[in-house]
Amino acid sequence: MLEIKNLVKRYGRDKAVLEGLDLKVEGNSVVSIVGASGAGKSTMLRCINRLVEPTSGSITLNGTELVNLKGGDLRRARRKIGMVFQGFNLLDRLTVMENVLAGRLGYVNLYQAITRRYPQADIERAFMLMERVGIAQYANKRADELSGGERQRVGVVRALMQEPEVLLADEPTASLDPRTSEQIMMLLQSLASELSLPVLINIHNVAQAKTYTERIVGLRHGKMIFDGAPTDFNKDALDAIYGGIEAPDEAVSDARTEERTHDPA
Amino acid sequence: MTRPDAHTTAPRTWKKPPFIANPLIRYGILILAVAYLVWAFGSLPFNWARISEGLPRAARIFSGGFPPNLERYELLLTGFKESFQIAILATLLGVFLSIPFAVMAARNVAPMPIYLVGRAVIIISRSFHPVIVAILFVAAVGFGPLAGILTLTLYSIGFVGKLLAEEIEEIDWGQVEAMRATGAGYLATLFYAVFPQILPRQVGLSMYQLDSNLRASAVVGIVGAGGIGSTLMNAFGRYDYDFAFAILLVIIAVILLSEGISGWVRKKIW
Repeated sequence: MLEIKNLVKRYGRDKAVLEGLDLKVEGNSVVSIVGASGAGKSTMLRCINRLVEPTSGSITLNGTELVNLKGGDLRRARRKIGMVFQGFNLLDRLTVMENVLAGRLGYVNLYQAITRRYPQADIERAFMLMERVGIAQYANKRADELSGGERQRVGVVRALMQEPEVLLADEPTASLDPRTSEQIMMLLQSLASELSLPVLINIHNVAQAKTYTERIVGLRHGKMIFDGAPTDFNKDALDAIYGGIEAPDEAVSDARTEERTHDPA
Repeated sequence: MTRPDAHTTAPRTWKKPPFIANPLIRYGILILAVAYLVWAFGSLPFNWARISEGLPRAARIFSGGFPPNLERYELLLTGFKESFQIAILATLLGVFLSIPFAVMAARNVAPMPIYLVGRAVIIISRSFHPVIVAILFVAAVGFGPLAGILTLTLYSIGFVGKLLAEEIEEIDWGQVEAMRATGAGYLATLFYAVFPQILPRQVGLSMYQLDSNLRASAVVGIVGAGGIGSTLMNAFGRYDYDFAFAILLVIIAVILLSEGISGWVRKKIW
């Protein structure tokens, strides 16, 4: 169970991006988080695995408080949080198999990592997951030779290699064409139930959010203004979330620059 | 699209705006530069009498150098063998050591105190010409190839380290974030997300550095750091101008060859 309590994130002295957010995700539910760019979706997700440092508040994953972890404790906690990125963030010059096995980097030692001597069980799991999503035939191909949809599958498998207790997906379909992005959404939905894994998906496509997820959370200006089932997500909710903000499509490029500036170094 | 005034007024002209807008400053700088040149030439102690005395001496040296004499080719081969050894060893050591210093000197992967140390090492090793460093090392470890190797290693660390650090600062940060998100440690992140991204650049720089070290090994030899430079200096010292000229010609040939090879390899790898 993932529980976020009164999460605040402020960059420098600016107005807070997240203003006391509360969210509870249980079981294997698939939750989509919608909101215009700058609403704080990406920041919220990145606070969970601490790619962004929260200013205050509490985030617990199955009883472990994540906000104050440091060093080795933080790395051990991150192993339990899988993440899928908008730009895939694959290791382009390495093979698909190396990318997938990189999901185990939190578990193996440095020697095993550098020499690629991963435990047999990891290799079995890698092949099993790659077969499940249909990329096993690319194991020895370089990651940048794959198409967008295939690359995102590698990203998903890498995250699942961590044996995560929660999966975060930061606009996983925003760089994909409409059909491929539906396939990825379907994949995330079915993996969530197969592995009984809670999944949080930041998404701009409201139609896909309603189709493939069982709960929608709407953010605006760092506050949660909607939390409910897709059937309750009506025109009013949509206006409340996006109202007064033009063309949510523009968010794609905005989200990229936003990612850059978040670097905690 | 329409130009309403075109037929009523004179044809409009356009000139590129001057680099310095203010005419006073523009011509002032020009006058100052010319005045300085005149003053500098006037005040430097050129002794025309000595220069004219020297010209016949130069002619004697040049005529003594022709035809170049390759009879003592064994000395030449020994010198070149040593130069190659110096260049190759220094390149290997320098390129290898430049990696940790480059990581230290890259702002995005090194914490502030480490960054300052890394930058300092690179700046110091770049601030002196190899010849000056060679003089210091010859004084420290004595004549011979060891001084040459140490000099060129330091030179390589400075050059390759600086360029690699800049390359690290420009990597795709998303890959680093992805590795951090898996719970990977600092070194594992470096080996998976950083090094593969700078690898092509690293190979190219190493080739260039080998080329450059070969050239520099001839120069540092002149101050006593071993290699073909020392052979050349000895030949001059014994007034063997024909042998010295033979050495110079062979150096040119070898540099041309190594430049060709390294250019070809870099093109293949890019």
